[in-house]
Amino acid sequence: MNPYLLIVLLTSLGLGTALTLSSTHWLLAWLGLEVGTLAILPLMAQPHHPRATEAATKYFIVQATAAATLLFAAINNAWLQGHWDIQHMSHPLFTSMITLALLLKLGLAPMHTWMPEVIQGVSLNTGLIVSTWQKIAPFILLLQIKQIHPPLLTIIGLASILIGGWGGLNQTQLRKILAYSSIAHLGWMVLILQHSTALATFALLIYIFMTSATFITLKKCKATTINMLTTTWTKAPTITLVAPLMLLSLGGLPPLSGFAPKWFILQELTQQNFIPHASIAALAALLSLYYYLRLSYSITLSLSPNNLPECLQWRVNYPISTPLSSALPAALALTLFLLPLTPSALTLII
Amino acid sequence: MVNFVALVREHWVNILVPAGFVIGWYLDRLQDQKLTTFRNKSALYSRELKPGEEVTWK
Amino acid sequence: MLKILIPTLLLIPTSWLAKAKWLWPTTLLHSFIITLFSLAWLKNTSETNWSTLNPYMATDPLSSPLLTLTCWLLPLMILASQNHLAQDPLVRQRIYITLLVTLQLSLIMAFAATELTMFYVMFETTLIPTLILITRWGNQMERLNAGTYFLFYTLASSLPLLITLLALQNKTGTLSLLIIQLLGPIPISPYVNIIWWTTSLLAFLVKMPLYGVHLWLPKAHVEAPIAGSMILAAVLLKLGGYGMMRMMLILSPLAKELCYPFIILALWGVLMTSSICLRQTDLKSLIAYSSVSHMGLVAAAILIQTPWGLTGALILMIAHGLTSSALFCLANTNYERTHSRTMILTRGSQMILPLMATWWLITCLANLALPPLPNLMGELIIISALLGWSWWTIIFTGAGALITATYSLYMYLMTQRGPVPNHMISMNPSHSREHLLLTLHLLPLLLLVFKPTTIWGSAY
Repeated sequence: MNPYLLIVLLTSLGLGTALTLSSTHWLLAWLGLEVGTLAILPLMAQPHHPRATEAATKYFIVQATAAATLLFAAINNAWLQGHWDIQHMSHPLFTSMITLALLLKLGLAPMHTWMPEVIQGVSLNTGLIVSTWQKIAPFILLLQIKQIHPPLLTIIGLASILIGGWGGLNQTQLRKILAYSSIAHLGWMVLILQHSTALATFALLIYIFMTSATFITLKKCKATTINMLTTTWTKAPTITLVAPLMLLSLGGLPPLSGFAPKWFILQELTQQNFIPHASIAALAALLSLYYYLRLSYSITLSLSPNNLPECLQWRVNYPISTPLSSALPAALALTLFLLPLTPSALTLII
Repeated sequence: MVNFVALVREHWVNILVPAGFVIGWYLDRLQDQKLTTFRNKSALYSRELKPGEEVTWK
Repeated sequence: MLKILIPTLLLIPTSWLAKAKWLWPTTLLHSFIITLFSLAWLKNTSETNWSTLNPYMATDPLSSPLLTLTCWLLPLMILASQNHLAQDPLVRQRIYITLLVTLQLSLIMAFAATELTMFYVMFETTLIPTLILITRWGNQMERLNAGTYFLFYTLASSLPLLITLLALQNKTGTLSLLIIQLLGPIPISPYVNIIWWTTSLLAFLVKMPLYGVHLWLPKAHVEAPIAGSMILAAVLLKLGGYGMMRMMLILSPLAKELCYPFIILALWGVLMTSSICLRQTDLKSLIAYSSVSHMGLVAAAILIQTPWGLTGALILMIAHGLTSSALFCLANTNYERTHSRTMILTRGSQMILPLMATWWLITCLANLALPPLPNLMGELIIISALLGWSWWTIIFTGAGALITATYSLYMYLMTQRGPVPNHMISMNPSHSREHLLLTLHLLPLLLLVFKPTTIWGSAY
């Protein structure tokens, strides 16, 4: 892609999210969301491949539907209540509509089906943007709305954790697995959203660190299926060492960073006397852990001198270092070692 | 002398664990002193000292 | 406490910076130095039972034997794995030692934690190094299966424990072991009490493991490399017993009748798993089932919640830790020579390795609780405590002791006596390393005969 065009697109991506984050007016927030969506479409459709075009189309249709619903609800809300303030929504119907539209944008169950399809169709770099940066704006909007129906978010959160776990179990494509993992993680955030916005933000932050590390790692090993992971040790030996820890951190095993958001979310839920919800969420997280474990088996734990289940690949023009891969050490460090620092991280956010 | 340098290059690693012990011992002592100060002030554990006894009882 | 923790932490850079030639001797030497210092924990002079106190960690007579056992196991694991790893590239040897050190670090912090949440976090932390040990350095393809079983059995049972701990913290305001014993009964409804009791003990009963939820253990033991089997049998199972003793102290006055099904299951498990040992053909699997059977006794002793029961449980845990670890080492010496765990294929080693046969004899006798070893002390105390609780238990414990003796002898006879098979002609002689390893397992066991109070816990 032409570098000038790339700069324009990336700047608009940033601009869209910044616009949404800084607005108190629904129209401007909607505008920011649209700018973000439109800016990423060329990036998605850039590889000349029917699968990429398909993914871009699907993404466009879903995001446009969500944005249209959002705009519709906001206009009706303005018509009935006479204001466009994001934080002062009070009409139950339109609040629910907007919540659902934002959940569709985020890709939460049962509106999640576009997510694996789209991520599978795009390149790993674009997938990284879709599953991290593009989540920020809708999520922050969701944080600002006053929730009228508390069970709605709880049910959707639990459903996402379960479906994110189940869906990933029988996948062999890495990007689909990561999409399901993203659904499950967002489920945790939505579950805690109405009890503590600070914790939801904290979980989003940790999720972004972990997902970036995972996507960059996969980019570095040039792997898109589970079997291709088994030859990682020929390309990036150090990554082979760290990758299982990173994946188990995504699964939320102590003492890695991924445990911190789960721990505090469970604590908050038990404090609010939602012990059944906490138990279901904690046990449903084991489903996702299973596929992380499977990935770490194929990256590291069954490496040579065992037999390889995959042929070694040709390595043509393999770049040793790209701008993204230079961010890998930082992302990995944040993915692995944040748990002892969580008290201070939490106080920063709260 | 050369032999000594070679020896150091070969075996300097052996200093790490003893150094760790010294550091740990020092930090533990600091901690003990801190906790003893708390205990000396507490109503539950402070007691009359025998003549000649130091403040830091165990 | 930091006196041990910081040197242990620095063992990791030591293992990475040491010259290739000196890698194993250096780490062995330094881990022994750490063990030497850890012996100081056994001497407890404090009035409150808690000593070497800092805000997060402390030792008391219950945890100090287990802590010392943990420190004792690291040099032994390093000693035992040398041959297993001799073929591996240097970097992998270093990673292996790093994993063992990490495991020791998290185990020390788990046993020494004064805060139950920290205990939980460290309890879970031990999973990752153990998982990597089993699945990376195991031998057969089934090791991946074993790793999955290990991880999911433990996690599925311990996540409810985490939620219970958080709820408990909500109710009482603290989870510090120093304070929580001084609180009165916790005001909760009987139903909640039942749920709390079950969830908080289930995690440890799975880790012990209790008969019925023990299936992960034989798999993990059979597939793990020697160091993995050793640490699993010697320390990780004891984490379950230790956690139960701690949680019991908090929940004890609340749920008495709830113990019955678990005690029945534990005692029935003693009988069942020892009988399974009798028809076992796989040497490592036999030792693993023997661990399940011994830990069933420990579980029953802890569940009846008498001082004698707790004392016996602690003694048996330490004694069994050393014995089963020694048995795994012996099994490994056979395995390294014959590359088979099947007992019928490795008969008659007495003719080939006579001194090794002596070690086999002593260890098997320790396993069947020969007087005056601490194994017997532990079993006797447990059996009499259970007898005091109910007469009927003597059927299970008595039959269990009998079958234990039978299968220990069966194991000895199968591996050591009989005709030498034709394929066992060119075996390596035993190394002095292996003799040292077994001496270091059995010496503490013999020395403990003279002063069992060190591992009696606080109940004397």
